[in-house]
Amino acid sequence: MSMLVQFVITGLAIGMIYSLIALGFVVVWKSSGVANLSLGQLVLLSSWFTYSMLVQAGLPFYLGIPLVVIFAIILGWIIERIILRPLIAQPILSLITVTLGLAYFIEGIVVIIWPLSQAYLPRFFPTEPIHIGSAVVTQEYLWAAVISLVLFILLSLYFRYNRMGIAMRATADDQKAVQACGIPVTKIFSRSWMFACVLSAIGGILMSSIGGIRPGLVETGLLAFSVVILGGLDSFVGAMIAGPIIGLVETVGSGYLANFIKWPEIRTVIPFIIIVIVMCIKPYGLFGENRIERI
Amino acid sequence: MDLPAGTRNHNYAEDMSIFRTKTHWFLLIVLLVVLFTAPLWFGNYWLSVANLIGITIISVTGLNILTGYCGQLSIGHAGFMAVGAYTSVVLTTRFNLPFLAGLICGGIMAGIVGMIFGIPSLRVKGFYLAISTIAAQAIIIWVIRGWTDVTGGYAGLEAGPASIGNLILKSQTAEFFLILTITIIAIFAAKNLVRTRVGRAFVAIRDNDLAAEVMGINLFRYKLTAFFIGCFFAGVAGALLAHTNRLASPEYFAFTNSVLYIGMMIIGGLGTTIGPIFGVIFFQLLNVLVTKLSPALQSAFPHLPGGFTSGIAPTLFGLAIILFLIFEPRGLAHRWQLFKSSYRLWPFSY
Amino acid sequence: MKTKKLLLFMSVTLAVILLATPFLMSCGPKVADTTKVLKIGMMTPSTGPVPEKGIPGQHGIQDAMEYINNELGGAGGYKIEVSWRDSAYDPAKVATIVQDFMNEGDILFTTHSSSEMKMAQGKANEAGFPGLATFISTMNLHPAQHIYGPTPDYGDDFVALIKYYMENIWEGTGKPKVALHLLSGSVGAGTLDGANAMAEELGIEIVATEYHAITTTSEIESLTRIKALNPDVLLISGVPASTAIIIENAKTLEMYPGTTIMCASASFTKSLVDIVTAQSGADAIEGVYGVFHTVSWEDDAPGIAKAREYCQKNHPEDYGNMDYLSTWATCLVIREILATAVKNAGYEVLAQGGAAAWKAVEEQGIQKVKGYDVEGLQGGTITYTAGDNRLDNYLRIYRVTNGKIVALGEWEPAPLIKYPQYGDE
Repeated sequence: MSMLVQFVITGLAIGMIYSLIALGFVVVWKSSGVANLSLGQLVLLSSWFTYSMLVQAGLPFYLGIPLVVIFAIILGWIIERIILRPLIAQPILSLITVTLGLAYFIEGIVVIIWPLSQAYLPRFFPTEPIHIGSAVVTQEYLWAAVISLVLFILLSLYFRYNRMGIAMRATADDQKAVQACGIPVTKIFSRSWMFACVLSAIGGILMSSIGGIRPGLVETGLLAFSVVILGGLDSFVGAMIAGPIIGLVETVGSGYLANFIKWPEIRTVIPFIIIVIVMCIKPYGLFGENRIERI
Repeated sequence: MDLPAGTRNHNYAEDMSIFRTKTHWFLLIVLLVVLFTAPLWFGNYWLSVANLIGITIISVTGLNILTGYCGQLSIGHAGFMAVGAYTSVVLTTRFNLPFLAGLICGGIMAGIVGMIFGIPSLRVKGFYLAISTIAAQAIIIWVIRGWTDVTGGYAGLEAGPASIGNLILKSQTAEFFLILTITIIAIFAAKNLVRTRVGRAFVAIRDNDLAAEVMGINLFRYKLTAFFIGCFFAGVAGALLAHTNRLASPEYFAFTNSVLYIGMMIIGGLGTTIGPIFGVIFFQLLNVLVTKLSPALQSAFPHLPGGFTSGIAPTLFGLAIILFLIFEPRGLAHRWQLFKSSYRLWPFSY
Repeated sequence: MKTKKLLLFMSVTLAVILLATPFLMSCGPKVADTTKVLKIGMMTPSTGPVPEKGIPGQHGIQDAMEYINNELGGAGGYKIEVSWRDSAYDPAKVATIVQDFMNEGDILFTTHSSSEMKMAQGKANEAGFPGLATFISTMNLHPAQHIYGPTPDYGDDFVALIKYYMENIWEGTGKPKVALHLLSGSVGAGTLDGANAMAEELGIEIVATEYHAITTTSEIESLTRIKALNPDVLLISGVPASTAIIIENAKTLEMYPGTTIMCASASFTKSLVDIVTAQSGADAIEGVYGVFHTVSWEDDAPGIAKAREYCQKNHPEDYGNMDYLSTWATCLVIREILATAVKNAGYEVLAQGGAAAWKAVEEQGIQKVKGYDVEGLQGGTITYTAGDNRLDNYLRIYRVTNGKIVALGEWEPAPLIKYPQYGDE
């Protein structure tokens, strides 16, 4: 029983961080239909930039973190302006591969600038573990969960009430109609990439302050894909709900399965098995929209 | 098919021939002679590069059939290579099958596994399919790592050298001939495949799968056929890789390789037979250049950042993919076409 | 038209250059070496997932070779020329690097880790190209071929740790319960091989075998399972970064103190202490046991003074690092091997490179070395016995005390274990 409680709490806590990164994917997909496969690399890059600001330059938090956010905004703008804008209206194949190229490029740049390949951020939150029943969880995870929840609410409100947010939703629905209404579509794409980069920067800061900056951060990008597949590519609520589900299945599933299946690291493969199952049963996810195509 | 001025096709055979004019045949023979005598003037190092290029061309040709012709993006190609590699190595070492039989069985096994993971392609496409192939890669590698009784787990499986009959192809030169022959067969097969009904069906599916279905193309059959053929090539390439490295290890088939294969295909030119050849050669030569030059640069300019040597390769590869997609989405193959036509018209280009 | 012509010209030039590169590079006149040197190839994983081991190892090579060539006059009167490569822990890269080493006329090669050696050994064994790995696993040495370990392997780590535990710590009755946390790869596999072969004989019970990835970020879930079994010993065989995560998580789950934590040699170095201290404070690592095959930096071995001197002069940040010291010791072993080979086979045989030189290095060098003490840096002496490719087989247990790695007890011999699964009889 105590094991189950421990698995559930760990899974939920980790899952909330997956959700946060998955939100970054959904923002871009929702407004521009680009599948961003460089999520993990963006997380890695912004974590290293945070390291530079806070540790190498020794800036205090209140100065360093805003700088990281500004950096993320500029990064998003550059990516959209230089790489994705020339590819508007190209087939989805090009849009996917260009983000793969971007992922590779960022990985190389990170190695060139920060050859350490691992480092540790100062801890932002108190580290004393909290006891919930018989289970233990580090406070940092709870803080991270709260932050992702707040960001999710802000983002949902923005998309619901802000004029720009509404325009972004409209763009996702029908680009040509939006252009005809006089809404600058390129500006919307650019905005969505900025959002995505900021979200992955915050996710990166949270994750690397807990577990250090390591090449393994890139793999969380892959985990975020299983979150968006389960939740539906264009749904914030989906990402928010699917994250903890993936986290739960990952820890609880592997927690008990590992007693029967002796193959190592079953935990790493569970999200992918979920992807395959979801793909066969409900390919557009829990909350995703099944678009009907016409010739 | 654009032909030199004055060449006319008088019958169907002429129309369909790949090598139409005497110049074509002459160039082909020169090329073959150059390739088959290459070990005479290639050093050991270049021979090993050439072997790697050959194996990669086979794999990327398969990917090109699947992605370039049929439009089903696969980011798990290295995983399918691993299936072929392990099948072949297990069959040849445990069941003493001859090498060539192992090679073909490896290809078939990879094809079957590819078909299984291709099933979602019937309901989803684009990004969804890409993610499910990533999942395929992760699951395949996990199974290989875990199923130690058969695959040897992390330690990998020791593979014997390639052999044909009693002839054991152990030296690099012998391996070069083997790989070269198989590569030529693979390219030729791919070139012909895409000119058949199957190939035209693939192209129709790529361009618009709904329209293709309306035209009477059985999507289920052709998409799975594409997966089978694409992964068959991958399996053969993987088996060759394992036998020439004398080891089947899960580490040879990493996720990054899958991404790189897509990069090579893009740079070469999607949906052309010549594309993969250009793409792979471009990539591997760039790789050689980087590994040879970057230590020299590092020592010549000591103020370069510390990770320069190891970070420059992925940076350049990523940049190449991005730049090609933006400026030359049709790849080097398109440039080659332009060059050929301008060469034909030269000096009177209008 | 102009741009088109320019483009044509440029693409033709580019094609010509690309095509001509192979010919130029292979046919070009070879630059004759005027000085007489012995060429060897060495690689370390200085980038990629384990730089915390690779970078100190790389520095160790640089400094040790500077010492050997400048103060000891090279090996047998000839300077040693090292061609060093960064393997990035990438198997495809390792395979090409080994091919390179063989082609450029190196007479011996080393890798830093057992995984790199695993990727290299297929080609090397086939060609008879002798290699040494500073950190070596069972799968590299069994069956004995052309790969050698200057130190005992990871299977021996397990035996040494458990022996120490049974003799000095275990006070209960019955069999102590041991949980293994293994890095999936050659490191963990080596420890598991040792455990499978010797657990019965040592009188322990293996209650859990968990695996972690080299890039792991949280092991709470696997440790929860281990905690439920209430083991007496948690034996971790990983790299410093992954071991640090496991120790921190074990602390979070309040397994420690209580369960004895022991680390195999791949992780037990200063970086481990540094990472855990930076992340969770010094008391998280205090009292952790580990095993190692060289002396510590605080020992009074004759050779340690030079290592300290060069380290403080060139790479002060590595002071106290066991990876640095290990490669330093490996370089000294290589020098002895090459000196023996020069004495027995003559310089001319070695200088020509290729199969004859490799055979000479192996049969007239490695297998003829007897009783070399590595300037006191290792427990035993470098001596080859037929069938056992470990050149030294002594280990010592260490413990983290007040943030320092302190030796406990005497050097323990590690007898050869047979592993039938790798083809040992």
